[in-house]
Amino acid sequence: MTEKSGVSRRDLFQIMGAVPAMAAATAGSGLAQKRENHETRQGAYQRKVFDDHDWQTVRVLCDLIVPADERSGSATQAGVPEFIDDWLDFRREQDGNDDLAAQILGGLAWLDRESLRLLNNNFAALDAELQQQLLDRIAFPETATADDRRWAAFFSKFRDLTLNGFYSSKMGIADLPYLGNTAVAEWKGCDPAVWAKLEERMKNGYKGLGGEVKPWT
Amino acid sequence: MAQVKATPKTYDVIVVGSGAGGGVAAHVLTLAGAKVCMLEAGGWYDGAKQSSMFQWPYNAPHRGAGTKEKPFGYFDATLLGGWRVPGEPYTNAAGTNWMWWRARMLGGRTNHYGRISLRMGPYDFKPYSRDGRGFDWPITYDDLAPYYDKAEELIGVFGSHEGLENTPDGRFLPAPAPRCYERLVKLACDKVNVPCIPSRLAILTRSIHGRPACHYCAQCGRACGINANFNSPGVHIFPAMKTGNLEVLTGAMARAVVVGPNGLARGVSYIDKKTRGEVTVNAKIVVLAASCCETARILLNSKSSLFPNGLANSSGLVGRYLMDTVGSDVDGYLPILEDLPPRNEDGVGGMHMYMPWWHYKDQKAGRMPFARGYHIEFGGGRGLPGADDFGGSERILGGGYGVALKRNIRKVYGAGIGFSGRGEMIPNADSYCDLDPNKVDQWGIPVLRFHFKWSQDEILQAKHMQDTFKEIITAAGGKYFTDATAENNWGISRGGAIIHEVGAARMGADPKTSVLNSNCQAWDCKNLFVTDAAPFVSNADKNPTLTITALGWRTSEYIAEQVKKRNL
Repeated sequence: MTEKSGVSRRDLFQIMGAVPAMAAATAGSGLAQKRENHETRQGAYQRKVFDDHDWQTVRVLCDLIVPADERSGSATQAGVPEFIDDWLDFRREQDGNDDLAAQILGGLAWLDRESLRLLNNNFAALDAELQQQLLDRIAFPETATADDRRWAAFFSKFRDLTLNGFYSSKMGIADLPYLGNTAVAEWKGCDPAVWAKLEERMKNGYKGLGGEVKPWT
Repeated sequence: MAQVKATPKTYDVIVVGSGAGGGVAAHVLTLAGAKVCMLEAGGWYDGAKQSSMFQWPYNAPHRGAGTKEKPFGYFDATLLGGWRVPGEPYTNAAGTNWMWWRARMLGGRTNHYGRISLRMGPYDFKPYSRDGRGFDWPITYDDLAPYYDKAEELIGVFGSHEGLENTPDGRFLPAPAPRCYERLVKLACDKVNVPCIPSRLAILTRSIHGRPACHYCAQCGRACGINANFNSPGVHIFPAMKTGNLEVLTGAMARAVVVGPNGLARGVSYIDKKTRGEVTVNAKIVVLAASCCETARILLNSKSSLFPNGLANSSGLVGRYLMDTVGSDVDGYLPILEDLPPRNEDGVGGMHMYMPWWHYKDQKAGRMPFARGYHIEFGGGRGLPGADDFGGSERILGGGYGVALKRNIRKVYGAGIGFSGRGEMIPNADSYCDLDPNKVDQWGIPVLRFHFKWSQDEILQAKHMQDTFKEIITAAGGKYFTDATAENNWGISRGGAIIHEVGAARMGADPKTSVLNSNCQAWDCKNLFVTDAAPFVSNADKNPTLTITALGWRTSEYIAEQVKKRNL
């Protein structure tokens, strides 16, 4: 690979990957057309579900769930609001009902209703601290009050959508990081350093986020 | 008005279908010198040119999510097919909820399938003799073993030699080393006495027959751009075309086998999807490999004054004893896998380890509440993130948002795990397909109507799967998540959902109780053969494709010999 060509090895792989898929798409499935629409759409996204006010709330809420930090950007920087809008429309078409869109729109409406009732302002217009106070009521399903339970269910779904949108984006994949989708010259199986860590945990037990693992006998 | 045409040429053999069964027939017969015409209802497909390997979900609509048109996602190799094919409906009888997968493309389902390649064992050919349920095959494991050898040597299957009961070893390429979570699950399985061994998949871990070895991108379902996994076009059909003896007609939707006044098959009538006209091709021998149910449909639609109930159907058994595989799933979460150093865990497109059925002796001794067994498939690790892979995080993290949530997601990524059982269904008289009395498809061909029921054996097997998966996850210190209860029959899959339909034109030793003889030759029509999964007499937990390939090879060799002896 010469410097002059300006194509790094990684770029080349992406190009090589792209060509056959285009060939596949043109082989009579109608997918070529869809792909083209998708790519031309990316510049200026046309909303299908959220109105201007919803959009403002969605952008605020997404970035409260996935803010920028030292490793990566925020949900809005990764295009998550666009993903969610598209996904709600997509599910409506695929599932033959708008239950998911209704749950999300209904939850957004409640956020404003509750913000207006308690703080006399729309959710998006509140200070971040007040926004978080409200979220703390619904962001932890097990501690939510009985009255808040359905709004906690809404928030869980909205969090799912935000995480799905973020971690399937290019930014989110690099954040995790996911290191595959590439050709590997030699497959070696489990990395010995990782296995040593697992053996240590099996021997001494492990206290994780998802529960405690007792030492394996 | 569409015209009915006949091509003047007479081939030695017409093969209907280009999947595992049609591919192997074309391969063996063309190498034996026969002039073969292959009919494929779908379009042309060459995975080496058309694979979407290395593409990223964020470059696809809806991040590559599955749709009605593409149930396994945007990048799945199946360009046209699924549980619904436009213009080609099927119906369900009252009380049946069957789903029928079809892949309308060269190579059929071999382009996207899981490549799991398990030999049936000696018990699996004689299930009735062993437990008094179902029916025996007219052949034994020893009859098919040489063809399993040939099939594995051609398509390339990795695995390990274990010597386990009713789990025959094969001609294996080296198995790839397990991923970290697979090694861990094996230790958990050791604790609860479930065998966990290297899986057996038709993916090349070494170069053979000029095909390169796998590069471990985990995307076999998108078709392989380097032909390193088994697929009928790349392994059977294109080499067969090089002999000069194979002609492939795509967009050719077989309607009926044409029978002459002597009662022998004379050719096949198909609809040319481009012109919508009917064409008849002539041959000395007809091989049906259109997929189990489609083969039954062609036979039932091949009505004539000689065969008013359809061809090869004097027993009335065409379409009968349709089977699928029993499926039930449990998801889990293993905290011990949290927060480990990032690594590429892609590996081959599928599991590197699996669990073969292990209760043969308990069953023989009458200690199990159901007949027949299942194997376990499992997956996890730091896979390629798609549109719907980060849901339900509150079940692990209790909820939350913000920088803390982001930090936690990085830790829990890769600690999820999923177990699926794949078990044997015993054939029953309530599960079959026949022709719908009213409905036709857009080609004017009467469509199939399905009737399907699980029995208590399958439902109790699903319960056993659930109990076992929970036990393994618990042994690994994890949490399990499942909606399965007695009310929903332990989460048993819908009929057809596992896409392992077999039976519907079974082979046997007696023309009164079977459609085909022990060479998969129609009792009623000696120049008609079947090489897909329709001849299957039972549906062992071993995935059908390897047995389709071995049995199809045996049938094709028989055809070649009979031609040589001038019996056909």
